[in-house]
Amino acid sequence: MSVPTSEPYNRLPHYPQMCTHVLPFHTYCACHCICEKKPSSDIRKPGHFLHHPSRSGSLLERNRVRCFEDNWPYEYLCSIGTPGMDYTRKRKSSTTDYQIDGFSFEDSMDTDNDRLGDHQGRIKNAREAHSQIEKRRRDKMNSFIDELAALVPTCNAMSRKLDKLTVLRMAVQHMKTLRGAANPYTEANYKPAFLSDDELKHLILRASDGFLFVVGCDRGKILFVSESVYKILNYSQNDLIGQSLFDYLHPKDIAKVKEQLSSSDTAPRERLIDSKTGLPVKTDITPGPSRLCSGARRSFFCRMKCNRPLIKMEDKDFPSTCSKKKADRKSFCTIHSTGYLKSWPPTKMGLDDDNEPDNEGCNLSCLVAIGRLHPHIVPQPMNNEIRVKPTEYVSRHAIDGKFVFVDQRATAILAYLPQELLGTSFYEYFHQDDIGHLAECHRQVLQMREKINTNCYKFKIKDGSFITLRSRWFSFMNPWTKEVEYIVSTNTVVCGSVPEGSDGIYPQLAASPQSMDSVLTDGTGKRALQTVPGIPGGTRAGAGKIGRMIAEEVMEIQRIRGSSPSSCGSSPHNFTSTPPPDMSSPGGKKIQNSGTPEHPSAGMIPGPDSIGYPYSNNSNLSDNAHIGIDIMDEPGSSSPSNDEAAMAVIMSLLEADAGLGGPVDFSDLPWPL
Amino acid sequence: MGERREEGEREIGETDLYLRILGGFVVLVTTEGDMIYLSDNIREYMGLTQVELMGHSIYDFTHPCDHKDIRDNLDITGVPGRSRCGGQRDFLMRMKSTVTHRGRTVNLRSAVWRVLQVCVSRPSLSCVLFTCQPLSLSHTLLHTHTFTSQHSMDMRFTYCDQRVTGFLSYHPEELLGVSVYELCHTLDLHTLTKSHQNLCSKGQSVSGVYRVLVRGGGYMWAETHSAVIAKPRPTQPHPSKPHPSKLSPPPFIACVTYILSGVKEPTQLLSLGQMN
Repeated sequence: MSVPTSEPYNRLPHYPQMCTHVLPFHTYCACHCICEKKPSSDIRKPGHFLHHPSRSGSLLERNRVRCFEDNWPYEYLCSIGTPGMDYTRKRKSSTTDYQIDGFSFEDSMDTDNDRLGDHQGRIKNAREAHSQIEKRRRDKMNSFIDELAALVPTCNAMSRKLDKLTVLRMAVQHMKTLRGAANPYTEANYKPAFLSDDELKHLILRASDGFLFVVGCDRGKILFVSESVYKILNYSQNDLIGQSLFDYLHPKDIAKVKEQLSSSDTAPRERLIDSKTGLPVKTDITPGPSRLCSGARRSFFCRMKCNRPLIKMEDKDFPSTCSKKKADRKSFCTIHSTGYLKSWPPTKMGLDDDNEPDNEGCNLSCLVAIGRLHPHIVPQPMNNEIRVKPTEYVSRHAIDGKFVFVDQRATAILAYLPQELLGTSFYEYFHQDDIGHLAECHRQVLQMREKINTNCYKFKIKDGSFITLRSRWFSFMNPWTKEVEYIVSTNTVVCGSVPEGSDGIYPQLAASPQSMDSVLTDGTGKRALQTVPGIPGGTRAGAGKIGRMIAEEVMEIQRIRGSSPSSCGSSPHNFTSTPPPDMSSPGGKKIQNSGTPEHPSAGMIPGPDSIGYPYSNNSNLSDNAHIGIDIMDEPGSSSPSNDEAAMAVIMSLLEADAGLGGPVDFSDLPWPL
Repeated sequence: MGERREEGEREIGETDLYLRILGGFVVLVTTEGDMIYLSDNIREYMGLTQVELMGHSIYDFTHPCDHKDIRDNLDITGVPGRSRCGGQRDFLMRMKSTVTHRGRTVNLRSAVWRVLQVCVSRPSLSCVLFTCQPLSLSHTLLHTHTFTSQHSMDMRFTYCDQRVTGFLSYHPEELLGVSVYELCHTLDLHTLTKSHQNLCSKGQSVSGVYRVLVRGGGYMWAETHSAVIAKPRPTQPHPSKPHPSKLSPPPFIACVTYILSGVKEPTQLLSLGQMN
């Protein structure tokens, strides 16, 4: 290798495109230099003088500016450094400055002495320069990886910084999801012979009781809907295709659906929703760990019109088409739509740009979804002409008998307004003769977990007269705590005279008739029965007291009985009454559950220990924390130390508003995506 | 030949499209419980592949506590024909998943349970179609008519977000300690109870629709997706330390409630809680 010493500048090797003036590291200059020398193979070797200075300052400057615009692999430029240069000493005539990460280098015409003495220094400087370059490169790579982590939802939500490999892996996963699942198999997709693709397709639609629809995102135009829509909404396919979806939605849901369609950008990005207006708020894409985006998936409920004309005599004259005049008379079905947004670039669709002058070339995007009739919907009551007087109503009572809930039919039956009933004890309305047996029922319902049927009894209605009711009571218990929350009473009006004895339909309780006196008296012998006219409900003094007494009595009994399992009947709500089976973990280990299959009575809060519940604190479960739903971290990983942190994570994931919770310690993602 | 193959591919594409839209996979099961067909996108959700599972018994891959439910649905004495999704024949099932909730892939031996909502239908007498959808809450992020809340295990509110005020007119503070059973219409009690029971036993649940009472009168239809959040106990309890069960914090329930309707019958007073 020949080390140029004091050779003239123009003999130095360089690339024709490159001017060597003031070339900082990792740049090259695109100016056309007059030098003609071809690149030499020695050029990468350390010690070569890569550049030569220009002769005029101004050219220098020009070149320097230009040179910065181009990139040059730094490895190449690292080799800069030559014993022929004195990096520190300024030359008097023309100088060139080399900028390497803040280090100034100057080349100069040196004497040999300087060269030798500074050789070590230069090499050291070169190494430092090299490490600086390395550092910059690493920083750049890290910043790119951070940016990638911020864009990928799974990484985004993590509080701690993920290692690079994980970030890359998640990015790959995410891209695959966005592009659609890559088929991992080379072999053909297996399908059993008796199930063709077509059948499977129809089966899925039928099974889900749904219809497929495709709606353009910009204007809500229905681009396609499958035939099965007829079964659900009673509109034919032709009625709907080409129409605007918003014409078929409940007016109050239009905003909701618009919002679902509006984010046609399928790439994950921050989305905030203003809690007051319900509209999306534009934010800068400053990725914070709090936001999770579902990307292209959409799932929402909305009310869609059903083409079921109401039966009205007057409407016979009108043709039964789905005209908009009738819009407000149609009924609505709640439809659960799930699907995803798909976008196509206009060129693929063959769209002519001329036809869409206002189209900035953005993608055509659509919502492709299946709409399913939402289950369990109680049909909306139609405004029918026939009014049937209800004969049944439902009410809820606190354990002492106070009304805490009455359904709307109660007013029709009892003539009281809800306000008059709520808060008052039901004993105020019972006929004096019935109080005894009803009190006994009350006692029993609180202790037993079965439904109890009362005998017929008289209930005082608003005008003071009595109607005959028969009720079915049961005490509702919280599935977790097993405590009685309230008593639910289904009350049926019994018409006509009711015989005193058993009518064979309902099992009779062998209750000895007691007068209210005996129930109320605590030995004072004082008769507290009075009806107070003029007060709504005909308040009986002491009526509420009966209820309270009974409630307390029962609670006391249960408290005493609390430690041992009481001989309760099977409860309709006692879902864990079947002893939990031995649960084998996926790992094949047997998990013994130490909880008792029988449960103590309502007075005790059994807590997690005695229920056959996956979360029961059982040391045998310690081996396998995957049993049950281990939604939080897997064992061994760092987890937040307190409930608030976990709560905050959930809230952040579920897009809590800014007003809730302050700075949050985010833990790992608990939710499946 | 090439044409036919293309057509075949297009058809496969359509089925995949449907499955993708549904956000789930399908399993065709005989009455004995053998899985004779699974859609290949099961891999996306559960990590397990079509090839791995085909031919095996569904009971080998599902939670023992759910076997009874599965058996009931496979019962040959059931009525053939379509049964409504979401009706009685809709249940929650826990299935093994080699993809953890965080997206990591694990060995089958350390698989986690994933809760699936299953719609059952019966295309023929001899087999049953399960349309399985994993329960996930991420899609609710973009929904306007929702609010989030947290509850203790007995379903009393421990936290509620501000949006509830816009719907139910209660302030979050007013709801603390209130049980959801006080806020619901009595006729929907069974719906909520069932959901609560599912929550306790399986960890995740979707309630059906129910009526939630609005302050001052009236009600709104709603549906709640909920899940239990629990901290795992440390795997290797140190012998000298106290029993770990005393140290782990109690699980709680996180809910997202979709409001499905406006206020119905706003003047109708129904419960004591609505009066102030």
